[in-house]
Amino acid sequence: MRVAIAEDSVLLREGVARLLAESGMDVVAQCGDAEQLLAELGSEPVDVVVVDIRLPPTHSDEGLRAALEIRARFPSTGVLVLSQYVELGLAMKLLADSAEGVGYLLKDRISDVKEFLAAVRRVAAGGSAIDPIIVSTLLSRRRTDDPLERLTRREREVLDLMAQGNSNQGIADKLVLTLRAVEKYVSSIFTKLQLPATGTESRRVLAVLLFLRN
Amino acid sequence: MASSALPAGVDRREARAPPRATRSSVIAIAGVGGAGVSFALAVAGEGVGVEMGEPLVLAILTACLTLSYVLCGLLAWRHRPASRFGSLMIAAGFINFASTLVWATRDVPYTLGQALDLLPPVLFLHVFLAFPDGRLRGRSVQGLVAASYVTAIALELVRMHFGDFGPRNLLEGHANPATAETVRQVQLTLVSVFCLAGVGVLASRRRQAGRPLRRSLALLIDAFAFSLVMLAFLFVSSAFDGPWVAQIRWATFVTLALAPIVFLTGLLQARLARSALGDLVVELRADLAPSDLRDALARALRDPSLDLAYWLPEFDTYADVDGRPLDLSDLGRSRVTTLIDRNGEPVAALLHDTSLQDEPELLAAATAAAGIAVENGRLQAELRARLDELRGSRARLIDAGQKERQRLERDLHDGAQQRLIALSLDLSLLEERLAGDSEATTSLDRAKREIAISLEELRDVAHGLHPAVLTGHGLQVALESVAARASVPVRLTVKLDGRLQERLEVAAYYVVSESLVNIAKHAHATSATIDVARANGHVVVEIVDDGIGGADTERGSGLRGLADRVEALGGRLRVWTPHGGGTRVKAEIPCV
Repeated sequence: MRVAIAEDSVLLREGVARLLAESGMDVVAQCGDAEQLLAELGSEPVDVVVVDIRLPPTHSDEGLRAALEIRARFPSTGVLVLSQYVELGLAMKLLADSAEGVGYLLKDRISDVKEFLAAVRRVAAGGSAIDPIIVSTLLSRRRTDDPLERLTRREREVLDLMAQGNSNQGIADKLVLTLRAVEKYVSSIFTKLQLPATGTESRRVLAVLLFLRN
Repeated sequence: MASSALPAGVDRREARAPPRATRSSVIAIAGVGGAGVSFALAVAGEGVGVEMGEPLVLAILTACLTLSYVLCGLLAWRHRPASRFGSLMIAAGFINFASTLVWATRDVPYTLGQALDLLPPVLFLHVFLAFPDGRLRGRSVQGLVAASYVTAIALELVRMHFGDFGPRNLLEGHANPATAETVRQVQLTLVSVFCLAGVGVLASRRRQAGRPLRRSLALLIDAFAFSLVMLAFLFVSSAFDGPWVAQIRWATFVTLALAPIVFLTGLLQARLARSALGDLVVELRADLAPSDLRDALARALRDPSLDLAYWLPEFDTYADVDGRPLDLSDLGRSRVTTLIDRNGEPVAALLHDTSLQDEPELLAAATAAAGIAVENGRLQAELRARLDELRGSRARLIDAGQKERQRLERDLHDGAQQRLIALSLDLSLLEERLAGDSEATTSLDRAKREIAISLEELRDVAHGLHPAVLTGHGLQVALESVAARASVPVRLTVKLDGRLQERLEVAAYYVVSESLVNIAKHAHATSATIDVARANGHVVVEIVDDGIGGADTERGSGLRGLADRVEALGGRLRVWTPHGGGTRVKAEIPCV
């Protein structure tokens, strides 16, 4: 698997590169800014990029703009955005109309090595990785007539993991359930929230997030 | 209170006394006598050419013309002894009389009259161009008048040398009527051209003023210009023997005789201005607001273009009534500046039309009457200027604080936060390597958890210092999380096309987040709406809840701090919070 990294802190950039390399990935580019990253992508195909949202020169929205541009120009390349703050508004901007091959995680998550590597692989394969803070913000959001109150505690746990981008197998592993049980919970959730059943796992991520947001 | 003139734009004329009574009487009697002689010569008609038309009409018009200039000139002289304009008019009147001696039957007066034949129109041109102080301004205008004098006198003498004027002409040399006729045509054409050039000069003066002229002045300049056009027309007609020359001459005489009357009307109006001064005093008694003082002065001085500038010594500048600095050198272009001072200290400056210089009494009286009001206006201007300065310094303080917070947030982000994350990552890699040693991995795990907690705390501190998402991504994105985390369901509507100035975004952000904190703490609300929009050059932020209302707007609610922040940007924060009726917070901040 071929990975490119854009991060202006050398310490972190090299740490992440080492981590990814040690886990058997091929780190083909380490860039200090968005411009360099886009140039690298133009010259050789990459499965996934790991990009900091705050990049030189102004440290404002360069990382996000680069991520959106990569999504538009290289649809087969997964984009995992890292940030020291996660914001609902940014997540929605990043996902726009598809959660396919998109990740948005708090930078701290890097140190949970297993989870982080799983997220990188998932995004590279066209799946999604949404930070738990985003999902919990959405889940805890106050609503009048809250449809989430109709869900059982277990169903809420499943919904949480589903919205983060986990596959049914991933959810089953985390909650120590059988795959069949997870599938049952998922279909029950969709019925209770009156959501139309969707095909792929990344499509259901967007559907659930949009549902929770409104 | 005294008024004195600034060196720039004002010429200090030497004081000249008005004519003594005996001298005035002599001039008046001479004028009447001259007019009588012209009248008699014309009526006798012996020396009057047929081309002059009906002798009686000519007699009346000529006499009127002489009288008009002599008598009006005399009045002007008495009224404005500082100006040479009056004496110039008197001279024009007498020269007009002298030129009528051409109708005499004796040699000497005839020759004199003929020599002076074309001088009166040139003097009229001189008078018109020398308004208002009797001086010709500018080289080109002086050259124009000088050329006119040479044309009128020198060419006349040449003409008389060659001309066939009969036995009365004492200056006849070699009679050559053809040459004389050519000289006559050249002479008359030249004088016509000079008159039209004079019209051009008057027109450019009108344009130069660049702002509404005082009415009497505009009328006078128009009367002068019209007279010059008539003169030019008359000379062209008579040079080339056009029809109706006699009638054109009469009309020209009437126009010329009316010009001094228009001038006199202006003078009398200045007298009447005393009653306008009376109005000013009444208005001032009625506690005139400083902002209306300029208008009252403009009315009293009949100068709609008038400007009033207050001197603010503390700021070392002139300013308008709202304390905004004014540049006098810019405002004073083609106008005159009159300083108003009190005990030798400048208080204000009046920028007015040049023609007011001819009414120094009026100017002095008006500024004296407005004394206290001007002082009041100056104090108000000073107060406003100080308020502006204060507002500016408050905004700068808040800006500086904001910049410092932003810098700290950046430092945390680039420094401690990055290092802690990198450290945590190192520990994780170490943990993998020591996978067999359960004691070591447990300690490492504990260390990582500590780091995670530190990072979380640091993130909260950084966010409290400055919400970085605001700088990077704007109000809409930043408010989305704020609304999502609110204690009640929130409907958020942001209608902004593009980004706002950063200080506005920060203020709007804090208005929303602080209001939501208040709602959570005090409002007992079940829902809230947030609207952010741009309207009439302002960003308008409105937060409405359906809670119990009755919020304390002074203590504990943070509303005071919000109001400070909003007002420092020149905006306004209003709170409606009736008991049992919910709370509405509305901030309006001007987009600069």
